[in-house]
Amino acid sequence: MLNRNAEALFWIGRYMERAENHARLIDVHYHLQAEDGADSEAVGKGQEAAAPTCKWSRIVDALGSRESYVQQYGSYSEQDVLRYMTLDRDNPNSLVSCVSHARGNLRTLREKVPSEMWDAVNGFYLWLREKQPEDLMAESPHLFFGKIKEWTALFQGISQSVMPRENEWHFIECGRYLERAENTLRIIKAAYNTVIASGESWSNSNATGAYSYLQAMLRSLSGYQVFRRYYADGMSVESIVEFVILNEVFPRSVHFALHTLDEHMRYIRFQDMQLRSAHDKVIRQVSKVKADLACLDQEDVMLDRDGAIVGHLLDACQTMGGTFAKTFFRMGEASA
Amino acid sequence: MSTARQSQSHYYDSQSFYDEMFEKDFSVRPHYDSVHRLFGKIKPSELNIRQHALNQRMMEEGITFTLYSSNQNEPLERTIPFDYIPRVIPRHEWDNIDRGVRQRIRALNAFTHDIYHQQHIVKDGIIPRKMIVSNTYFRPEMVGLDVPSGVYITASGIDLIRDEKGRYFVLEDNLRSPSGFSYLFKGRTLMSELFHDLYLSSSVQSIERSLNCFLSSLRSLAPSGKRDPLIVLLTPGSYNSAYYEHTFLAQQLGIHLVEGRDLVYKDHNIYLRDLRGLRKVDVIYRRIDDEFIDPLAFQPDSLLGVPGLMNAYRAGNVAIANAPGTGVADDKAVYAYVPDMIRYYLGEEPILHNVPTYILSRKEEREYVLDHLSELVVKETSLSGGYGMLIGPSATAAEIKAFAEAIKLDPERYIAQTTMKLSRAPVMMDGVMAPRHIDLRAFALMGEETHVIPGGLTRVAMTEGSLVVNSSQGGGVKDTWVLSR
Repeated sequence: MLNRNAEALFWIGRYMERAENHARLIDVHYHLQAEDGADSEAVGKGQEAAAPTCKWSRIVDALGSRESYVQQYGSYSEQDVLRYMTLDRDNPNSLVSCVSHARGNLRTLREKVPSEMWDAVNGFYLWLREKQPEDLMAESPHLFFGKIKEWTALFQGISQSVMPRENEWHFIECGRYLERAENTLRIIKAAYNTVIASGESWSNSNATGAYSYLQAMLRSLSGYQVFRRYYADGMSVESIVEFVILNEVFPRSVHFALHTLDEHMRYIRFQDMQLRSAHDKVIRQVSKVKADLACLDQEDVMLDRDGAIVGHLLDACQTMGGTFAKTFFRMGEASA
Repeated sequence: MSTARQSQSHYYDSQSFYDEMFEKDFSVRPHYDSVHRLFGKIKPSELNIRQHALNQRMMEEGITFTLYSSNQNEPLERTIPFDYIPRVIPRHEWDNIDRGVRQRIRALNAFTHDIYHQQHIVKDGIIPRKMIVSNTYFRPEMVGLDVPSGVYITASGIDLIRDEKGRYFVLEDNLRSPSGFSYLFKGRTLMSELFHDLYLSSSVQSIERSLNCFLSSLRSLAPSGKRDPLIVLLTPGSYNSAYYEHTFLAQQLGIHLVEGRDLVYKDHNIYLRDLRGLRKVDVIYRRIDDEFIDPLAFQPDSLLGVPGLMNAYRAGNVAIANAPGTGVADDKAVYAYVPDMIRYYLGEEPILHNVPTYILSRKEEREYVLDHLSELVVKETSLSGGYGMLIGPSATAAEIKAFAEAIKLDPERYIAQTTMKLSRAPVMMDGVMAPRHIDLRAFALMGEETHVIPGGLTRVAMTEGSLVVNSSQGGGVKDTWVLSR
């Protein structure tokens, strides 16, 4: 396998995972009522208009693309945000861009992977390319996002069932799980920002606005039902953060994502001596983050009100991504 | 608005019912404004698309209930008819219902406790002793037993109707194992996804916290305040008509869905048989009637329950929600005394009124009823779900005659009520709004505090002119929106 193939596979994994995560996130947050105190009478006339804006800015925040959004659109509105996140080709992280990048990368090594995988990604891209913002609203955003999830599930199901477990497969999976860890961390970070912005005590889940938001956060990670099994009615920001970072069995937790990343990383085999030592270095880096995570306990998470731990983990993930690129993909970031 | 008036008056006759959406002159009530505007202008083709999407979602997710009938071998599995014009309740109206329901539940819970302890209310002559001892749902096994936190009625559904003036009345209390929670929550999800524009622009009170309250109520029952109780939902099994609801609740609450055979009684405890071995069960939310929960205590031939359950319960090692014997308080004959209970136990005036009810063991009332059967509704006290009912105004002479005979034979088995002119709300029928009768099941969850789920479940009699809203009799449902402003 060529170096650039490895890189392409890594990015295919990342982009498909990103598309799936974004679809979940936007779907859940879109259907959140314009809460933010719409329930409390204390909200004055002027603030009412501000409340929904806040909801849209949160979605953009959770994807970590506030700056680029503000540059392009200036202000937050439902239509702009939805367009920006889904069908805007100028946004490198929009759904259409993610799928287009995945397809572009897959195209460079079509012959090396089972043809069904290409069919799935290409079909996804062609379907999405035809969509207009108006279609999305007319047929209801929920159906649209549901369809996106089906396409990504199709891709994952096919690769799962037909791809040989060789380096190609492990590169895709490394990309997927690194993306997943980052995504979960970004969502937590956005939640912290909201905590700070609202100045309200979030451990008090009785505030209706806070409750819906916490629940949405869990739903956007498809973690609502599993959370219930572990924490029952203890819906507080601390227990949710603990759950999505430290839970060992929940497949979208940071812990789970990093452990799976580690496994796939170790399965990758190199002949080249130089590559092997670089590979070892990446493995050590992943192990270090895993160790950091293992040292955390409940209390650390509880006390992490300013998001220092989450920030640290997010930085570590980004560093890993960088090391990856430097180690395996000498072409640099050409396809990213 | 004049166009709306003209087009609507075609489909709305001028009968004297209260309409939820329209005033007498067919102008739209202010709280229905945005709903009416949307459904007034939406194209039939678009409605078809959404209706199709809705039906498909319900089938795919298996939001169904099962109908059994004696002349069919294969039971009928069907989705409940879901009408997508939401029922809208203004905030002040709801606040009153909320307070009224909580008051009523507090009184009914106090009554249940009293009946199984000192029976002060009988001794003080408020309720005749006969009403208790002849009650099918009275459980002698419960006498003198203290239930966890004194809560008998964890989950209840209070059925409310409105008369021609729009006043709310309590039609009946469901205190044993009321169903409909899943339709309420699913209906909301479906509406918020299929009519996202309308839903997001109306400020509707959120129901998301209610499931948490449900779980908190169940947890608060755990014996000796155990911190991490094991809670199970005991279902009769997948053949039960409400099985979808059982799976929904178990899934949403994160509790175990079990059948009687999954539980075992040992040394005054109930255990769950699972791969880890036997695990002690702390709280059982049962969706099985009293008679079937323990063949040793009740129906000996029942295969649904757990032999020994009542022993473990009496030993205080497991909590059962709702407590056995709550049926004594939702009996249709006892219903007539609920306003007195509220005054007796709480020293308050009832916030929600009963439908005027005749007690047929009283001679004058019985004679009046027998003379006016064609104007009244007669109900058999021990039956529910719309079975065993006579609706006078729409009954045939033969039906009336049969009920008259039955009443004379056994007057205590029946009560009679004034026929209420149930309010109507528009449903979408082939692209136009048509009026149908509705009621409202308000759900209360009693734990350390009592929580009433904002909105409840609006049930619709889908057949034109029909007054029967039960899903077993072809009724449908609507999402119910309580405005937060």
